[in-house]
Amino acid sequence: MKYFLVLFSFSALAYAEKPNGEQLFTLNCAACHLPDQMVVGPSLVEIRSLYLNKPDDFVKWCVAPQKKRPNAVDMPSMVHVGDEGLRLVYDHIMKVSAGLKEVKQQKGDPYAASPVQAKRPQIQRIFMPNAGPAAIAVALDEQLSLCWDAGECRFRYVWTGGFIDGYPYWQGNGSSLAKIVGSVRYTEKSSPFHNMSEVHFSGYRVEKGLPILRYQVGAKKITETFSALPNAGGFTRTFTIHPTPTADLILDFSTEDKVEFSSDKGKWSDSKLTLKAADSGSFTITTTFK
Amino acid sequence: MKLRIFCAIMCLCAPAMAWEEYFTFEKIPSPAGIDPQVGAMETMKDGRIAVAFHRGELMIFDPKTQAWSLFASGLQEPLGMLIEDEKNILVMQRAELTRIKDVDGDGSADEYETVYDDFGMSGNYHEFSYGPVRDKEGNLYVVLGIASNGAPMRDEIRGKFSEIGKANREQMSSYPNWKNNKGKAERMYARVEWRGWVMKISPDGKVEPYASGLRSPNGIGFDAKGRLLITDNQGDWRPTSPLYEIKKGGFYGHPASLIWTPGWDGTDPYAMDVKKLEEMQSPPVGFFPQGELANSPTWPVVIPKGAMPDAFTNQTLIGEMNQPNLVRVLEDEVDGVFQTALVEVFGGKALGIGNNRIAFGNDGSIYVGKTALSWAGEKGIVRVKWKGESFFTLEKVKATPSGFDLTFTDEVDQATLSTITIKSNTYNYNKAYGSPKVDVTPMPVKKSELTEKGRVIRIDIGGLKEGYLHAIDLTGLRSKNGKLLMGNKAWYQAIKAPK
Repeated sequence: MKYFLVLFSFSALAYAEKPNGEQLFTLNCAACHLPDQMVVGPSLVEIRSLYLNKPDDFVKWCVAPQKKRPNAVDMPSMVHVGDEGLRLVYDHIMKVSAGLKEVKQQKGDPYAASPVQAKRPQIQRIFMPNAGPAAIAVALDEQLSLCWDAGECRFRYVWTGGFIDGYPYWQGNGSSLAKIVGSVRYTEKSSPFHNMSEVHFSGYRVEKGLPILRYQVGAKKITETFSALPNAGGFTRTFTIHPTPTADLILDFSTEDKVEFSSDKGKWSDSKLTLKAADSGSFTITTTFK
Repeated sequence: MKLRIFCAIMCLCAPAMAWEEYFTFEKIPSPAGIDPQVGAMETMKDGRIAVAFHRGELMIFDPKTQAWSLFASGLQEPLGMLIEDEKNILVMQRAELTRIKDVDGDGSADEYETVYDDFGMSGNYHEFSYGPVRDKEGNLYVVLGIASNGAPMRDEIRGKFSEIGKANREQMSSYPNWKNNKGKAERMYARVEWRGWVMKISPDGKVEPYASGLRSPNGIGFDAKGRLLITDNQGDWRPTSPLYEIKKGGFYGHPASLIWTPGWDGTDPYAMDVKKLEEMQSPPVGFFPQGELANSPTWPVVIPKGAMPDAFTNQTLIGEMNQPNLVRVLEDEVDGVFQTALVEVFGGKALGIGNNRIAFGNDGSIYVGKTALSWAGEKGIVRVKWKGESFFTLEKVKATPSGFDLTFTDEVDQATLSTITIKSNTYNYNKAYGSPKVDVTPMPVKKSELTEKGRVIRIDIGGLKEGYLHAIDLTGLRSKNGKLLMGNKAWYQAIKAPK
């Protein structure tokens, strides 16, 4: 009887001190590694194919994991599990993965048809190519979209063909940029307010789905709105400046892109628009693709 | 004797916890077609739940009709929300703190007003932004995560670049050579302004750098006593995930952000003596042991009356990404020093993982919003509802000169006292990613006795060890009427040991 008791107590103690491989796996690994398909990390089936009969390599990897898969997050070190614990985990993985087969995963964006994202016009803040990290993507309509940079407070570029594919960003944690759907037709090299020293983004108001962007350049409060011309032929930009400048305003739109500029006010000389002070409180520029 | 054998057998079998006995767990239908990864969630005054999703939709769930409506969209990685009223919702996006307004009152937003964006962005994916929370004086607090060398900086950044560090601006942005440069960048970096800082925004818009040293602080909130709490994630300079009480001017351990300290002399914090950094840091008020309690703790919230048994009211509840549970904070104070014991809640199969945000419905429901962001996690929202019956659990852990006074919600079975074991350990503080437990020492229970009508166990282990985490294993404990203990381990971090 006494012998029995001692044995039991010892077992209970051993249980408390040394969890088994399955328990260690559940606590430390199961969240990222499914038996038969890749989720965050590779499946147990794949781990088996990589490490069968290589427990030392397995432990080495777990203690100091490296970046291996470009689209996956880095595995954190499992040093806290300890060498002995990791070997128990190894045995568990080899045991449960024996005879399993990898399940093929669906490719593509499962939320591509989101009713919110599919709506036009559309405003979406996301990491964009060739822009600062505080970019805003705007679909003016089905065919014409643009990128506006809330960090630099300036328009960056416009493209035709569609909007963005945000899946490279959204499928992960933001380490990839959104893709432009279509082709870029016009890129603005710098702000037309070429003396921009101090800029400050104030946000935007939404009217009929389109943003009225608000920012400050020095003491001037500026609003900027866009609308698409029919058949993706170009776009208009309406600015308001408050208080209205007291001197003539010269805006430089120099570009090598194949576009033509016109406006409701002011005079053009090549790509430079000169507005009389009285006209510069509110004006609209039309950019037409050639 | 027979009882002892019985206990030993019970320990061996590790009886399954049954939170389902006291709570219901129910999945809320996600809005159609939306990626339901929850970044932020708050309850509106009328009991509707506002939820911000990964792809930027801010939607409102009406528990009465089970219907979703769209309030706002187009946000980038919203990870915090504060509802001012039904027409004004503050949301923290990657790039800014935004006040989203429904000016015309039609139930959907028409204005996105930038409240605060004067902080740097390197374009690195790991620069998440969290908050805001508001103190009694109306000040807002946000906290800015730092970048990971899992990727470089982008060519275009927002704000100033700091030259302090081994890699220069060009090297920091070089995608083709990143493999060679990433070591120089350090595991995590904060080369643009205010990354790793808590920022305080006063009602008049004045911004003050408030505290530094944060890494991946996916949880900020005030507790019931007005302490500002932040959780952070295990990693470099984080031996295991810590819980911090944030105070003005504090440095919370991760050195990357120190370069933005006003008046900083240009020293590379990574070249500093680790001992010096250790002296500078304010220690965590709690540790979540990795692989046991939490690997990636999330948002702290205060438990309101009615959501859980009365003993829990005003305690802090924290989410967790990797383990299938939440965490409850049991507060203690020794010589004016706030420190905590952390206990598991809802462990088992019912809740699942990815527990990113918690909100309480007006009917006492506990809404748990899930995410993954390609790490371990899940999607959607689980609603947990207390059935109203009290259960056997830890109510309080009080450090004493000899050990602990553990208060329970029910009378304890005297015969199970002998099953209690306590171990202490500390951790390495350094640049390594995580730390094994260091100096694991059993702390034999010299004496344990029941007081206060059988609801308090007084444990003598000859005193606590300062700077050590004390793992109190109560797995074998039973209530007088034979009930299992819900949340059967507590981890007490002793910054200060009572004398």
